[in-house]
Amino acid sequence: MTEFSLIELGKRLGQLVLSLFVLLVVTFVIGRVMPTDPVGAIVGELADPAALEAMRARLGLDLPLYQQFWIYLMGLLHGDLGNAILTGNPVMQDLRAAFPATLELATLAVILSTLIGVPLGMTAAFFRDTWIDRLARILSLVGHSIPVFWFGIVGLVIFYASLSWVGGPGRVDIYLEGLVEPRTGLLLIDSLWAGDWEVFRSAVHHIILPAAILAYSAMAYITRMTRSFTLEQLNQDYVVAARAKGASNWRILAGHILPNIAVQLVTILAISYGSLLEGAVVTEIVFSWPGIGQYMTNALMIGDMNAILATTLIIGAIFMMLNFLSDLAYLVLDPRTREVAS
Amino acid sequence: MKLFSTRFISGAALAMALSVAPAAFARTPVDQLVIGTSLAQVLSLDPQQGTEVKTQEILANTYDRLVQFSGEEGYAIRPQLAESWEVDDTGITFHLRDATFASGNPVTAADVVFSLTRLIMMDQSAAANLKNVGYTPETIADLISAPDEKTFRIEMTDSVIPESLLYRLAGGTASVVDSAVVKEHVSNDDYGNAWLRTNTAGSGPFVLRRWTPNDVVLLEANEQYWDGAPAMRRVIMRHAPESQAARLMLERGDIDVANALTAPDVLTFTDKEGFSIDEVKTGGYYVLSMNAGREPLSNPLVREAIAYGIDYQGIADTILGPYGRPRNVPVPEDFEGAIDNPDWSFQPERARELLAEAGYADGFDLTLKTIAQTPRVDMATAIQASLADIGINVSIQQGNGSDIVASHRARDFDLLIPQTGAFMPTALGSIDNFVTNPDNALEANNAGNFVWRSAWDIPELNAMRNEANGERDDARRLELLRQMQEMFIAQKPAVLPMFERFEPIVISERVHGYEGHPWSLTRLDDVTKTED
Repeated sequence: MTEFSLIELGKRLGQLVLSLFVLLVVTFVIGRVMPTDPVGAIVGELADPAALEAMRARLGLDLPLYQQFWIYLMGLLHGDLGNAILTGNPVMQDLRAAFPATLELATLAVILSTLIGVPLGMTAAFFRDTWIDRLARILSLVGHSIPVFWFGIVGLVIFYASLSWVGGPGRVDIYLEGLVEPRTGLLLIDSLWAGDWEVFRSAVHHIILPAAILAYSAMAYITRMTRSFTLEQLNQDYVVAARAKGASNWRILAGHILPNIAVQLVTILAISYGSLLEGAVVTEIVFSWPGIGQYMTNALMIGDMNAILATTLIIGAIFMMLNFLSDLAYLVLDPRTREVAS
Repeated sequence: MKLFSTRFISGAALAMALSVAPAAFARTPVDQLVIGTSLAQVLSLDPQQGTEVKTQEILANTYDRLVQFSGEEGYAIRPQLAESWEVDDTGITFHLRDATFASGNPVTAADVVFSLTRLIMMDQSAAANLKNVGYTPETIADLISAPDEKTFRIEMTDSVIPESLLYRLAGGTASVVDSAVVKEHVSNDDYGNAWLRTNTAGSGPFVLRRWTPNDVVLLEANEQYWDGAPAMRRVIMRHAPESQAARLMLERGDIDVANALTAPDVLTFTDKEGFSIDEVKTGGYYVLSMNAGREPLSNPLVREAIAYGIDYQGIADTILGPYGRPRNVPVPEDFEGAIDNPDWSFQPERARELLAEAGYADGFDLTLKTIAQTPRVDMATAIQASLADIGINVSIQQGNGSDIVASHRARDFDLLIPQTGAFMPTALGSIDNFVTNPDNALEANNAGNFVWRSAWDIPELNAMRNEANGERDDARRLELLRQMQEMFIAQKPAVLPMFERFEPIVISERVHGYEGHPWSLTRLDDVTKTED
């Protein structure tokens, strides 16, 4: 990489930190001016105003806003996100427990959606206006327009309650709860690590349906985008030339078009991954999945600001990191951007 | 490297493929009880802090109280940690049984003193029921004592009779904590609260093994329990906030008990083989609070018009189902001393006449605040529709618990739908919320008081309530209670009881001995399970 692109990289990193700071300020201000009062949730509905004020002072919520922000920021720089009212634990500890559940679900979903969505989109474009194309379009339209919540319930009724093919809500069969020591927090990996085949089997049974449902909505987007990227390429000279030389369909798609749309694909996959991590909220509620989506929903319900700020920051940071990484991927995968840059 | 990757990937793929093969019909093990519930509001497991309904079921099983009661024996007070007690003119003396905490420490009268002092000194919502009869941070040290290791004594104040004091001591907030263990975890004068929020230190039949908020609570049998180890080796409370998902889990046998289902989901279990529905009576109400500090709700005629303007039966039939039944008197109809319901059924004609008489023939606009939760949102919509019939235009404002409760406490609403519970399963216990308002002045800022929040000034009712609370003669007390109910109706309440509140629980027939408790203090030490 040239010196210039290193400077570019530094600039991007600087922008990333600045964006995170702005996100923090905005969330903090919105959070503090919200009418929701978490203190009521702690001391209870019947407490005296004096008890309420005492708790408010203990939490530092009686200080001026700028002072509260300063304290929060200083804590943050020391890696301290404060304590969650929701659980009484340090928010960092809660996130360490909740995030792997979401990560596991979203990662499996993005893998599934990529494995299906990219080939489907390419094939649909290649065989434009045939039945394959129509099928792909219908599939992606349905995935795009039907709410995940509804899919979740229907999926549970069919595959869990009627056919017994998959496990129900939760990450594992209930009586197997707590048998595997959480090391990475990713249950599939932890159970394999512990050599507990029964827990692993149960975990796969439980993750497959929510991951498939999440993957389907992401797949709709990936298929649509891949199809239009591929269509753009089909009329290019290099494809016409490859055809004239008698290259097989497979060779044209995989050998010629795929490398050319790879950069664009990386971007949309990054966006999908970000949205999956964030958008697992509804799925997590339907499937009693103890991830950050559910954590954040509950925090919002009682106005637990430390928890809300931390989850917002994490989600914001992930989005920005993915953006940053996909920009990097551009530099690596597409020589043209490098030439322009230098 | 490449070879390894290919092998690894195909191995992993095979493992996944094998794993998703149809599972055998998995039922919960016979020595583990699995409860599907909502753990969303469980913020603290400190018994002297956590008052939320679902918290109580955890506390009920990890701690003991001096005394207990259940619906089974007509709500009679029975022994728990106290083997026996004597009531005299000035107080109650309890004799404790030989019991040990899960830590191995013996349960002593000093632990009881410590726990009740802790409750009052921490001064949170949990302390309200003892504070409002005179057990305050200033008085508590003089009112409770431990004459010896196994004897605990509590003096009565002028505002309380023995029966109502015993019920207060049977509550989850009066759980006895292991003082030695708790003292080890005190930091910043917090009475050990930070630690006890997420740990237990009790003498109950179960010990908390793990609590992952919004996910799962694992309780393990306390083998040393004084009444013998429970039959269930583990109790698992699983967070299942989505009712339809919880229903499917119950039908499939993945959970044994569901206690957070919506009304329609509960109804699907009516007459379904293998399940029973326990409609647990809470003694509390769904209420319509009207702000009597605001025009035109300050006018009793307007309040009466609204009482005639709600389709109670329609709401009960279509929305509440097993969750409630219509009742406008703040004493459940089958409690001793209850009077008949007034004729406040849905009568739009009569309501319009009353509004005209009050000078509002053309109606007016109001807002209605409610927590965005089933069944309250649906109830609000139905009230909006039927009040529109009599010319009152209602706009609904939904919010989360903190928003709505904060508005209620600040008297910042026209109409609002809260719910109540009975602090004891008697007429006196259920009516208390509705007739207590010692000082209605804004400066009194008595935001913890249910009636004050509606700015409803009721000096006579309040005086009668105080008299009834101290009246030891049963017949005279019941007579006072009847008069209070009549007067309550005559004054056109600004806190209008609409529906008696029930908590329906659906139970698999494999489970035996599960008895829902009015305050969710359901004990699980006698629960057993069978294979089928």
